[in-house]
Amino acid sequence: MEEQKLLQVDDLRVEFRTDEGIVRAVNGVSFDLAAGETLGIVGESGSGKSVTNLAMLGLIPQPPGRISSGTALYRGEDLLTANAKRLSQIRGRHIAMIFQDPMTALNPFLTVEEQLTEVTRLHLGHSHDEAIAHAIKMLEQVGITGAEKRVFDYPHQFSGGMRQRVMIALALSCNPDILIADEPSTALDVTIQAQILDLMKQLQKDHGTAIIMITHDLGVVANICHRVLVMYGGKIVERADVDSLFANPRHPYTLGLLESVPRWDADLSKKLKVVPGQPPDLAHLPAGCSFYPRCSYREVRCEQSVPPAFERPEGGDFACFIDVDSVKPVEERT
Amino acid sequence: MSPVATSVSSSTSLNTSLTHPLLEVRNLSVHFPFRRGGLLNAQRGFIRAVDGVSFQVAEGETLGIVGESGCGKSTTARAIVKLVRPTAGEVYLQGERIDHLSDLEMLPHRQNLQMIFQDPFASLNPRMTIGNIITEPMNIFKLYERTQRKLEAMRLMDLVGLNPRFLNRYPHEFSGGQRQRIGIARALAVQPRLIICDEPVSALDVSIQAQVINLLMELQEKLGLAYVFIAHDLAVVRHIAHRVGVMYLGRLVETAPKSALYTNPRHPYTKALLSAAPIPDPVAERERQRIELQGEVPSPEKIYAGCSFADRCPIAEASCRETLPVLQGGAHKVACFKADS
Repeated sequence: MEEQKLLQVDDLRVEFRTDEGIVRAVNGVSFDLAAGETLGIVGESGSGKSVTNLAMLGLIPQPPGRISSGTALYRGEDLLTANAKRLSQIRGRHIAMIFQDPMTALNPFLTVEEQLTEVTRLHLGHSHDEAIAHAIKMLEQVGITGAEKRVFDYPHQFSGGMRQRVMIALALSCNPDILIADEPSTALDVTIQAQILDLMKQLQKDHGTAIIMITHDLGVVANICHRVLVMYGGKIVERADVDSLFANPRHPYTLGLLESVPRWDADLSKKLKVVPGQPPDLAHLPAGCSFYPRCSYREVRCEQSVPPAFERPEGGDFACFIDVDSVKPVEERT
Repeated sequence: MSPVATSVSSSTSLNTSLTHPLLEVRNLSVHFPFRRGGLLNAQRGFIRAVDGVSFQVAEGETLGIVGESGCGKSTTARAIVKLVRPTAGEVYLQGERIDHLSDLEMLPHRQNLQMIFQDPFASLNPRMTIGNIITEPMNIFKLYERTQRKLEAMRLMDLVGLNPRFLNRYPHEFSGGQRQRIGIARALAVQPRLIICDEPVSALDVSIQAQVINLLMELQEKLGLAYVFIAHDLAVVRHIAHRVGVMYLGRLVETAPKSALYTNPRHPYTKALLSAAPIPDPVAERERQRIELQGEVPSPEKIYAGCSFADRCPIAEASCRETLPVLQGGAHKVACFKADS
C-alpha cells in the first residue's frame, strides 16, 4: 500500500448559489501534500485556489456555498464530514492558515499577547505564564526584536511586515503539520516580501511544517515551492515539480502565464506575449475545456469535451489534448 | 470659458513644445500636517511625503517611477495633476508653470495632462454608461460636434480593444482589465500629450497585466504620448519605461536610462530593490545573491540630517548620517556619497 499522505484531497467540488445562477468555484480538484513540502497553488482571481483551501477547513459559509462532492483526508480523517467541534480542534492546532491582509486577520481590540496565548491555552492547555513565555518565544522566532515588550502591543502598533510576522507566529504557535498561506506576501513591499519568504523557508526547515502556498505570483512560486498546481476555472490544469513546470510547461495556460509575466531579465526587443481574452465566468462555464476561448492551441474537440489528465514524462500531469511543442499557436499559423 | 480653454491649449502646444520639456518638475515637495496628542497640547508636525523631487519628461517618453509603499511616488503623481496641492516647488507643462494655478486656470492644461488610476473599480462612476464616461471629457472641452462625440467614443473603444457595441453598458458589467481599458479610453478622449499612470496594472491579474502594458505601449507608438508610469513592480517598469527614477522616503535617489539602471544600479537601495524582486524562474532564484535590507521603511515623519536610507544601508558610514546627498550626475544621476561610478 502506498504510504499515507499528510493530506489527500479527492474530487472536491464547491459551488455557490447566486442571483446569476450556480457559480462553480471548484470543479473536481484532487491533490495530495507530503509532510515537510511546499506546494504552490497558482491561479488568477476566481480560479478557485482560495475556495479549495477554505472548503477543507470548513470555512465556506453554507448557504450560499455548498460542498457538492469530494473528500479531504487529513491523516486519514475526512475534514469535509468532520463535525464543527472536531474541525475547531484541528484548525489552529494541526492545520493553520495565514491570510493576505494581516490587519483584517488580527483582532484590533486584543493585544498580540491575548491573541497568541488564546491559541496555546486552548489547544495545548498552557497555563497563563507558560502561554506568555511561549508567545514571546514565537515572536522571537519570527524575528520581532524586543519581543518581551512588543507582545503587549496592539496590532496597529506594528507595521505591515511585522504584522505578517505576528500572523506567522500565531499560525505556528501550536507547531501545526500544515500551514496554509493565502497570498501571504502580496500586500507587502518587495524587500519585506523577501524577508517573509526567507522566514517561512527557515521555519519550515526548523519545524518540518508542510506549506500550501496560494499565490498568483510566479516569482514567489519559483522562490519557495517544491511542487506546483496551476488552477484555471476551478480545475487543476497542470501539476509538476517546480523546476519542470517552469522549464517545460505542458498546458497552454501555464505556458501563456509564464510568457506574459514581465521579467526583469527578459529580452526587451520582444513584445510581452499576452493571454488574450478574459477569465471565465464561473456561472457559465463552457462545455469543454474552460480555457478554450482564450487558448492559442485550441482545436475543435476542445470545445466539446473536457480534456482528461495526461501524464507528464517527468511526473505530474496536465489537462490538455494538445502537444504544445509540436503544434503552432493560432497566431503563427498561416 | 470654452473659447479661452481651446485657444490657450492649442497655442501653448504649438509654440513651446520644441524648446521646453513636456513636463518639468522642480523641487516638488508635498508635506502633510498632522496633529498628535490631545486637543489642548496638540503637537503639530509634518509628514514629508514628497521632498524636493525634480525631473523632466520629454515628448513621447515614458518615465517610470518605482519605490515601495509610502515612498511618495503616488503623491508625486497626484501633485503633478493637482489632486493634492504641492507645499513647495514648481511644475511646468510645456514650459508653462501650472502648480500655482486655480482650478479654473488649470482647466485648459488638463486637456494635455490626463491620469489613469490604480483601481479600475473605484475610478469609474458606476451610474454612468461607458459611452457617457468616455464622452464626458469631450463635453467639458467642447471637442467635436455634439453628434460626433458618440462616434468618437466608439472609435476610442475600438482603439483600446473594447467592443464598441458595449457603449451603453455600465462599468459593473466589465472585468478589471476591461475597466482599465475604459479608463484609458477616457484619458485619451481629449487627445492629451501626457498621461500620468498611477499603478495602472497592479490591481490586474497576471495574464491581463500584459494586455494592458502592451496596449499602453502601442498607444504611445501610434499617438506619440508621453507617460509618467508609477509602479512598485520593477519588471513591469523595465518593459514600458525609457528612463526610470527610484524613490525612497519622498526623495528620488537614482534616475537613469532604463538599460543603465537595470544593468548597473548605483544606489545601494536600487541594488537591494532589484535583488529582492522575485524572478519567475526557480533555477535563477536559487542561484541569486540577495542583498538583505535590515528592518523596514521608517516613518516619513522622522527628520534626517543626512541620508534617510543610512539606517538600512549596508555600506553607510558615519558621515552619511550628517550630510544630505544630492541627486547628481549626467544621464545617470544618483544621490549617494558612496555610490560606485
